[in-house]
Amino acid sequence: MRARGTIGGVSGLVLTAGLALAGPGRLDAQGGAAQGADNCRTCHEVITVERLAGPVKAYLADVHAAKGFSCAACHGGDPAVAGFEAMDPARGFVGVPRGRTIIQVCGRCHADAGFMHRYNPALRVDQVTEYQTSVHGQRLAQFGDTAVATCASCHPAHGIRPASDPQSSVHPLNVAATCGRCHADATRMARYGIPTDQRDRYRESVHWRALADRGDQSAPTCNDCHGNHGAAPPGVTWVGNVCGQCHAVMADYFARSPHSDIFNRMGVPGCATCHSNHAIAAVSDTLLGVGEGTICGRCHDVGVSGGAVAATMRAGLDSLGGAFALADSLLTRAERAGMEVSQAQVDLGAAHNALVQARAAIHTFRADSVGAYVASGLDVADTAIGRGKKALDDLRFRRVGLGISVGLILLLITGLILKIRQLHAPVLEGEP
Amino acid sequence: MNSRTTGSRGSRRRFVNWLLGTSFGGMVLSVLYPVTRYLIPPHVAEAAASSVTLGFGPADIAPGTAKIFKFGNRPALLVRTVAGELRALSATCTHLGCIVQYREDLGHIWCACHNGHFDLNGRNIAGPPPAPLETYLVRESGEQIVVTKGA
Repeated sequence: MRARGTIGGVSGLVLTAGLALAGPGRLDAQGGAAQGADNCRTCHEVITVERLAGPVKAYLADVHAAKGFSCAACHGGDPAVAGFEAMDPARGFVGVPRGRTIIQVCGRCHADAGFMHRYNPALRVDQVTEYQTSVHGQRLAQFGDTAVATCASCHPAHGIRPASDPQSSVHPLNVAATCGRCHADATRMARYGIPTDQRDRYRESVHWRALADRGDQSAPTCNDCHGNHGAAPPGVTWVGNVCGQCHAVMADYFARSPHSDIFNRMGVPGCATCHSNHAIAAVSDTLLGVGEGTICGRCHDVGVSGGAVAATMRAGLDSLGGAFALADSLLTRAERAGMEVSQAQVDLGAAHNALVQARAAIHTFRADSVGAYVASGLDVADTAIGRGKKALDDLRFRRVGLGISVGLILLLITGLILKIRQLHAPVLEGEP
Repeated sequence: MNSRTTGSRGSRRRFVNWLLGTSFGGMVLSVLYPVTRYLIPPHVAEAAASSVTLGFGPADIAPGTAKIFKFGNRPALLVRTVAGELRALSATCTHLGCIVQYREDLGHIWCACHNGHFDLNGRNIAGPPPAPLETYLVRESGEQIVVTKGA
C-alpha cells in the first residue's frame, strides 16, 4: 500500500510535469499518432490481460477515436516507438490520470476555445470553470477528496459518446442512472451524510414519466435542476428560478405572491415546499384547499384567512371544471349522435383555456385572480351547455319523429299485407 | 299426369312464397337497421375532417397576421408570414390543450396558458410544450383557401 502511494505520488508529479511540457499542440489529432504508427494500440489489443486490452476495444466507439485522437492524446508517451520505451516519462508518458489530473487532461483541450473550434465549434468550453464551482470540484479543491466525481466518473474514459447518442452515459435518458451510480450507493455516500433515494424518487416523478414514457426529452433530469459540470443543490432562495426555466408563468406568479417572501423568511424553498423535489407528482385540483389530502391544509386551517382563500380557489376550480366537463360531455354526445356542434366545441376551447389559466393563477394565492378566470370560463361553459342541451333536444325530437314515421310505415305495410290476403282468400258459399 | 301437374304447381307456389317472404324480411331489416343505428349512435367519434374550405379568401389575410378557423371540431390557425406565404397549423397547444395565438409583436405563435412558443413551422421553441403543432397543407384556389391534412 505504501509503495503504491509513493508510486502514485511520483506519477502525479511526473504527469503534471509531462502535461506542462507536452502542451495542447502535442495532443492535436493531426499532429499526433494518427499520422504514424500507433504502437499503443498495436501492443495493447493483443495483450491477454483485460485491464490492459479492454480500453483499446472500448475506445473504438469513443468520439475522440472518431476524430483521430490516439491513446497518447491523454496518456502521453510516444506511439511511434514500439515497446516499453514508448512509455517513458521523458517522452511525455503520464500513465493513468487520476483525481485533479483528470480535470487537467480533459481541460487542456476542452477549455481551449481555439482548439475545440476545430472539432466542434458549438461545444461549450467552460466545463472546467463550472466544475470548480460544483460541490464535486470544491470538495476536490478544498479537501483533496478524490472520491468525488471527476470528468471520467460521468463520461467513461474510453467510451465517451456525444450526449445526443442514446448509448451515451449523459444522454437525457441515462443521466439519472449515471448520477445514481454514486448517489444511490449508500456505502459510497455514507461519508457525506446525504440521502441516497434521489434516483428512485425521481423515477416516481412526473418528470421521469414524461421523459421515459412519453419520450419528451425536454423533461428535466438531474442536470437540468442541479447543473451538470457545476452540479450543486439549488439553493432555497433560487429553487424557484430553476423550476421557472420551464414553469415560467407559475414561477412569475409565485415570485410576486406573499408566499415568496414568507417562505424566504422561513428558510424553506418556494416550489419544493408544496411540490417536493425529486418525487414531484402530477398535480390535480384535489391538492388545493384545506381538507384532508390537500397541500394548503398542511399549514392553513379551515376558516382562517389563508384557508378561506384556498377553499375559495378550490371551489372556483371545481365549479369551472364541472361546468367544462358537463359541456364537453353534452357536446360529445350530440356530436356522436350526428348533430352538428363543431362550432360549439371550438368555442368551448375558451373555457378550457380559462381553466388551465385559473390553475396556474392559484400560484398568486389570490382568490380574485383565480376568480376572474373562473368567471370568464363559466360564461363560455354555460353557453356551451345551453348549445349542447339544445342539440340533444333537437336530436330527441328527430328521433321521436322518426319513430312515429317508421311506425306508420310498418302499420301501412301490415295493412297492405292483410288487404292482399283478404283479396286472395277463397270466397265461401253463402258469403255476400 | 294431373296429380304431377298439381304437385309441381304447389312446389312452385311454396318457392314463390318463400322468395317473397325472404325479400320482405330483408326489406324490413334494411329499414330497421339504419333506424336502429341512428337511434343508438356509435361510442367512438366519427373520423375527423381531413379538408376544409375557409370562409375567407387570400385577400382577407394580410402579411404578418393570422386568423383562427374551424378545422372539424378543433381550432386551427392560418398565418400569412411577413414574406407572404400562407401556413396552417393546429391551434391546440401540445402542452395542456389551450388555444394558441399568433403574436404579431413576436412574429410567432404563443400560448397564453403557460407561455409556450412555437415558430411558424409549428416547432416548439420555448416554454413547456413537449411537441410541435400539427401542420396542414394550404392551397390557394382562386378566391378560396383550402386547408388539408397532410398524408
